[in-house]
Amino acid sequence: MWRPNIIHRRSRWHQNNMDELRLRRRENERALRQDRRDRQLLSKRLLLYEEETEATMETASREQDVVSLLCKLQRRGSAKEIHLKALSKVLRDPAAQLSFIKQENSVHVLVGLLTGFDAQCRLLAVRCLHELSYSPDTNVASACMPSTPYLLTYLSGQTTKFTEMCLYTLGNLCLASKAVKEKLLAQGIIPALASCMENQRHNLAVVEAVAFTLSQLLQTRDSVQEIVSIVMASSLPSHLLSFLTPDSEFGLGAAIECAWCLHYLVSSSEDHRNLLARGALLHCSSQLVTLSVAVTQRKQQDKTELLVCPLLRCVGNLLYFCPVQDLSKHVAIIQLVGALCVLLNTYQHSSPSLARETAWVLNNLTAHSTKCCSAVLTLNLVSSLIQLLPVSQGINTMVLRIFANIAHKSKELCIWLTQLGLLAALCSTLKMADQEMVTLSLDVLYMMQLSSPQVKHQVLREGGASLQEVIQCNSERAIRQKASLLMDKLLT
Amino acid sequence: MSMPEFVQFHDVSAGSSGGTHPIEAWMQQLSEDGNPFTFTPQILHLHKDHELFEDGDIQRHLYLRDLYISETEEKTTLSVSEFACHIFGCHARFNLLQEYEHHYNSLHRNMCSSCRRCFPSARLLDIHIQEWHDSLFAVLAQKQDMYLCLVEGCELKFRTAKQRKDHLIRIHKYPPDFRFDKPKKERGNKDRRGQEQKVIEPIDDVCQSEGVCEDICNPMSDQPEKEESMEVCEKEAAHMEDMPTPVQDSEVNTPTSKPQSSYRIPKSVCFGHGSSRGFRGQRGRRK
Repeated sequence: MWRPNIIHRRSRWHQNNMDELRLRRRENERALRQDRRDRQLLSKRLLLYEEETEATMETASREQDVVSLLCKLQRRGSAKEIHLKALSKVLRDPAAQLSFIKQENSVHVLVGLLTGFDAQCRLLAVRCLHELSYSPDTNVASACMPSTPYLLTYLSGQTTKFTEMCLYTLGNLCLASKAVKEKLLAQGIIPALASCMENQRHNLAVVEAVAFTLSQLLQTRDSVQEIVSIVMASSLPSHLLSFLTPDSEFGLGAAIECAWCLHYLVSSSEDHRNLLARGALLHCSSQLVTLSVAVTQRKQQDKTELLVCPLLRCVGNLLYFCPVQDLSKHVAIIQLVGALCVLLNTYQHSSPSLARETAWVLNNLTAHSTKCCSAVLTLNLVSSLIQLLPVSQGINTMVLRIFANIAHKSKELCIWLTQLGLLAALCSTLKMADQEMVTLSLDVLYMMQLSSPQVKHQVLREGGASLQEVIQCNSERAIRQKASLLMDKLLT
Repeated sequence: MSMPEFVQFHDVSAGSSGGTHPIEAWMQQLSEDGNPFTFTPQILHLHKDHELFEDGDIQRHLYLRDLYISETEEKTTLSVSEFACHIFGCHARFNLLQEYEHHYNSLHRNMCSSCRRCFPSARLLDIHIQEWHDSLFAVLAQKQDMYLCLVEGCELKFRTAKQRKDHLIRIHKYPPDFRFDKPKKERGNKDRRGQEQKVIEPIDDVCQSEGVCEDICNPMSDQPEKEESMEVCEKEAAHMEDMPTPVQDSEVNTPTSKPQSSYRIPKSVCFGHGSSRGFRGQRGRRK
């Protein structure tokens, strides 16, 4: 079996640092949520190889190091490799980074080494640029601009490590500023990415890096339509779709990045017909079906959720644009309905937000399609959905919408739902504090009692007392009136 | 409407052959004029900045920053929708349906509409209404035994409330301060008479529970009715504290020897301010 050329990347966290990791994660999470509120949620990536993670030596003054190393690099015949290596370590320090760019011709020196005849020096030079690109300081990142035409040119090269480094550097630089991004666009970053992905499609590490860089371009707010239209005109969407199926764990990173690119494309594009025609809904939904089998056999350190999340979003939003009569061309309905219920059950405890997104997709699927609604019933999924009705955080309201979608389709489905025990569950949901749940419950009960005299009688018998309590006790007048109307219908 | 014959399922949006197609008829029924049940299935389109996507975005960026921890390692607790008691003034909330139903059945059901006291069973409520609010009862009680034993199955009747109480203590081993056998107080009546005339619209006031429910009697609202019930509550407590000349029945000497137990209600017990813990103990006994 073919295996890609894996560069062993080391996570910066050891297994025995889990507590520290959790602490850092909590701190970061707070900051990330605020960033999202400010519409500034952007992240760079720092590529670290195992051989590069040795601790750097403490030196007295970073500035002096930078100056001295720069001098050494400018001298003819010096052992540039050694100095570059030392410089790349020094440049992990933010103060050193600032100091470096303040030195005259510093980036120019690096670019010279990047384009020189020594292959190892090229690699080390791009390493230095990568460290600089990771800086949160816009000035530092912007200072690297002279290197970008070369970085783009090197994307057509063949060395994995070198190409990866160029890509992640470019990906980080995309976030530097609007001016930097516009320059990159003018220099043809998108066609370069497209041909790189095409040529290196057997190299999953490079595919992951290309997709990451593309995701950075697609996330920014300015000129997003321009970027999206260039991307849609290229071969990138088709390539992205082809990498959604991870080849064991090695391909998962690439699949994750491609899926997030697709999510951003689906969210921002105005040409959904194009996306649908290229099979976006087909690929995303069938991949969800495949993953739903895998998630039931979950292992530790499982990153599948990072792939499931963007796929759910693509499917959920693409359904909005897919005419219901064409649905079966794009979606294996029975399998997808089953898969979504498996995902719902799997994630309800461990990842409520993902369960909520799954329920949202199931709502979209059942909204206008009778086939999907029938599938929920024929696959015996009603009881597991009923068990989600107590679960809050937006899950139960979405599940109740799903039941309402089903009831809305036909009398037969209402009767079927009654036979499967939905009435008892609705008597409980009528008593909930969440008024949206109460309102939806009344809507569903109304539809059910319309379906047949027997069901009407059953609703009155099983739900009459709960309904009476709503009429007498609910704090919202509109709800009391609705309940009262329903009671009148039941009694006539 | 009669049941339609078996219908081949087809997609809602597909055209139908005629106006009498069962699915179409169903749709028409659902959208008839003036129908306030306005639910319609909707495909929800969510922008990438939607709040529903927040958590997923955070996980994504934690992953990019090398801080992702798979959820299998982090056990999250399930968040459940609460059940709320919707009785006006009662702000109790519960995670389990059984807890909510127990609360409602114990504190809001079997409520006397005259004095708004709640009783644990319909039987006790009936007895209460008869003894406290039925003027005919008062007349008949002068001539015959009318006070029914509270224990279900024991059909004995007594001439006075005190005799019944003695019977309960002696024969049925009830405590002397059984909360559902409070004698009717003359003093309290004046307040309650005013309340009896009040029209009670969908339980717009909190009932006066017999011995339970801190939630209900917390002065949360500025409704005048509420203050009155509080007043009665407090008065009752004060009155209780004044015992041991407990009842104002005509009988002072009990026919049987006075049991060691007294009728004194401990000062710490305030009817209407009591905790539910004591209540549950009694409840179990009654059953």
